[in-house]
Amino acid sequence: MSNSVLNETKQYLTFKLSDEVFGVDVAQVREILDYIKITKVPQTPDFMCGVINLRGSVVPVVDMNLKFGMNLTERTVNTCIVVVEVKLGDETAVLGALVDSVQEVFEIEPQNIEPAPRIGTKLNTEFIKGMGKREEKFIILLDIDKVFSSEELEIVQSSGNFKSNEINSAK
Amino acid sequence: MPKTIMTVDDSASVRQMVAYTLREAGYDVVEACDGVDALAKIDSATYNLVITDLNMPRMDGITLIKELRIKPKIRFTPILMLTTESQSEKKMEGKSAGATGWIVKPFKPEQLVTVVKKVIG
Amino acid sequence: MIDSLQQAFIEETKELLAELEITLLAVEDAPTDSELIAKLFRALHTIKGSSSMFGFDDIALFTHDIETAYDLIRNGKLGVTKHIIDLTLLARDEISNMLVNTGSHTNINEENTKKIIESFREIVSGYNKTEKKQTKDAVELQSSSNNKSSEKHHHFHIRFIPGKDLFLTGTNPLMLIDELREMGSMVLSAHFDKTPDFIMLNPEECYCYWNIFLKTTKTLDDLQDVFIFVADNSELTFENISNEIPKDFEIDFTKLQNIISQNAQNNTNDFRSILKEYFSVQKQEMQSEINAPKKQAQASNGHSEADSVSSIRVSSEKLDELVNLVGELVTIQATLSQVAISNNNNDMISISEEVERITWSLRDSALNIRMLPIGSTFSKFKRLVRDLSNELGKEVELSTDGAATELDKTVIEKLNDPLIHIIRNSIDHGVEAPEERIRVGKSSMGKVHLSASQSGGNVLIKIIDDGAGLNKEAIREKAIKSGIISETTEMNDTELYSLIFAPGFSTAKKVTSVSGRGVGMDVVRRAIEGLRGSVQVSSELGKGTVITLKLPLTLAIIDGLLVKIESDHYVLPLSSIEECIELSEEDIKKAHGRHIVNIRGKIIPYISLREIFSIKTNRPKIEQVVIAKINNHQVGFVVDQVFGQHQTVLKSLGKYYKNVEGISGATILGDGTVALILDINKLTENEEIIENNF
Repeated sequence: MSNSVLNETKQYLTFKLSDEVFGVDVAQVREILDYIKITKVPQTPDFMCGVINLRGSVVPVVDMNLKFGMNLTERTVNTCIVVVEVKLGDETAVLGALVDSVQEVFEIEPQNIEPAPRIGTKLNTEFIKGMGKREEKFIILLDIDKVFSSEELEIVQSSGNFKSNEINSAK
Repeated sequence: MPKTIMTVDDSASVRQMVAYTLREAGYDVVEACDGVDALAKIDSATYNLVITDLNMPRMDGITLIKELRIKPKIRFTPILMLTTESQSEKKMEGKSAGATGWIVKPFKPEQLVTVVKKVIG
Repeated sequence: MIDSLQQAFIEETKELLAELEITLLAVEDAPTDSELIAKLFRALHTIKGSSSMFGFDDIALFTHDIETAYDLIRNGKLGVTKHIIDLTLLARDEISNMLVNTGSHTNINEENTKKIIESFREIVSGYNKTEKKQTKDAVELQSSSNNKSSEKHHHFHIRFIPGKDLFLTGTNPLMLIDELREMGSMVLSAHFDKTPDFIMLNPEECYCYWNIFLKTTKTLDDLQDVFIFVADNSELTFENISNEIPKDFEIDFTKLQNIISQNAQNNTNDFRSILKEYFSVQKQEMQSEINAPKKQAQASNGHSEADSVSSIRVSSEKLDELVNLVGELVTIQATLSQVAISNNNNDMISISEEVERITWSLRDSALNIRMLPIGSTFSKFKRLVRDLSNELGKEVELSTDGAATELDKTVIEKLNDPLIHIIRNSIDHGVEAPEERIRVGKSSMGKVHLSASQSGGNVLIKIIDDGAGLNKEAIREKAIKSGIISETTEMNDTELYSLIFAPGFSTAKKVTSVSGRGVGMDVVRRAIEGLRGSVQVSSELGKGTVITLKLPLTLAIIDGLLVKIESDHYVLPLSSIEECIELSEEDIKKAHGRHIVNIRGKIIPYISLREIFSIKTNRPKIEQVVIAKINNHQVGFVVDQVFGQHQTVLKSLGKYYKNVEGISGATILGDGTVALILDINKLTENEEIIENNF
């Protein structure tokens, strides 16, 4: 993880997945939506929730809980879709992240960010920019460009848990 | 007040290039796509210079120059012709029709500005 | 700005090259048509003229000799030959290459360009011995300005007596003098002794003349250049008088100018003697030189825009953006109608109806802007047919009609390759060799006809040849051999003919460079279906073959059939839908759970979308089967509910979902939810693969 990224004071938006708090750089957050109907695209993995209509554009939504190997995000009044902009090579893609609840926006100084531990987070360390300290608690600061890199979501094309498997094997 | 130049050329890219270069040099530019178009637009403003291509559909450059020289308003306005033809016949034909001078195509934008300055400052 | 100008140049040159090709082929048929030849010359002339201005010097240089040849042709000094046309076609391709490979010359065969240029030079020099001089002339302006003048100072005495009619060409002599002034330091004397009495004076004539002394680093050529426009009708003398000036002599130009100005009456002789006197008397006293005031170009940004023009050129991205926005408007308008109706407010309903009306007109106009006549594509094929028939030793004539038929730009672009393929096939497999044609009593010249016509929301494109036609028996045999059908398969003619579009099918006895390129007609079918179109073949043995492509007018907005499974909506392309029937639990029982229904005695297989999409909730008691025609076969798609026709604005699912099979996109419904658009061809194909593996 390049340290230069962490050398300036940045604002992070925090959200909760199960009981854990995660942060993303606000510069990459476009808006926060209340939960709306998501249209499932057939023959795609479960963590790919489907697509929503964002003012006329069709935007994919990812269930962050499932993506990080936790249980399916339960729908409550606090369930939100965080719309983020992700760099995919030279392009920018817009994507929705389904989270349990959105917490706050706060500023964090570089000295309060520690590098991600190599083990123990149960997450691919590639995804983690650093661990932010805040009032004795740790917040996992995500590198969403990595989390949503096309290779990460490529599984959409090759796996999927139902018929598409058969189709592929049949070929 | 900036000086106004009309550029007449059937090739949109050449015309736009001429117009862009001259605008950058501080002139006002009106574009016309051939002789007929030029004649239609000539009364709409007072021009300090007309730059015209020679080979054009509908009305060629030489005819246009002759037509312009009849108009009292344009009588003393400098007219430059754009030509790839290096033969002096074409130049002479243009001169006797009333052209002030010529610019040999291809030219670079700087060359165009130089020639225009030579004629209208 | 420069970039977009350059882009405009590239676009324009591409069009010119296309026009050049068409014109060349036309000239081949009518070599003496002076209008066509003038057109050729104009195109070359413009390409050469503009390319250098936009930094494509290689193109300018290359085109120069070709233009020279066409100038001779234009003036009747040279006749058009097949050789010249062949060369020009090659040259056209070469220019096209250069245009694409700007900057890098990796793909440009320099040998090739050299050869072409040399051939043109030969042609020209054969008729014109002064060819070399012309080449030199053309670069004259460039070279003279590029010449680095030596730093050595020259001293000139210039006498400039303009012709009386100077003003009539719009020339301002003071501008010329200003230009000289910028070349160095000068003193000047204007003479009015030739001006007549007031009564005799004609204000339109020029009576004034000038004597100029100039110290400059420029050469005589540079000075003459200043007067290039007026040289013919003015009296001009340039005299280098550097040797009259003592070495290391510093000229005080202010003082010299004063001396000259005080002698108001002086004429040329006086001027010269004053100079002489000055140089001999003056010692070096002062050093300052007058710097000619440098004119600065005014930088102003308020440009008046060009007057209205009859057509404008916009980039296709801008158009696509417009169509996208219109698509969104269509969507939001649907929402508005829905809200208006559910609120049951009459005022609002009438407003929403008005908005609906305008939206549809706007949609039609926006889509209409993207419509292009298909003729531009047709004309490309003239060249293809010419080259192919040469290569294959066949005589083929291409005719077209309906070139004005309009199609969406994106459709036209994607149509190019399939059409090339079909035409190749027609010439290679369809049209017989000349001897064979004569043997069967046909004219040796084969015919391929391209026609386009509009029929409803579709465009029909027919490729008709008068060749040998399709041999049904051969197709059948071949299909059995390749395992596409079994010996017992019963097929009607249409089904049989459509086998030529099956993957891995080819009846050609020998592989030629033309059609044996490893891509079969299945590629054509796939491409056409990708455009939501269909392909049909009819043929008569010995008489010829007709291939008909049916294409939608546009891809941005399609007519769809809106259906629902569980809580999700889906859209099927209406163009392939034939009918909808009900499917009850009893029907399923009757078929013993096999996915087939009996419609008016015909057995039709169906695909349960519920199953494919793994929707695990219970199916309703009565389902609906949407019957579609795919590759001339009827296939049913089982859904929960059918809503009816729906104007569908196509949206991409984006990068993350790009490879999902069976879904070709999404659309937004009136209530704001997203419905998926089904690719029923792909769904059927996948299902076939799965079932055939059982």
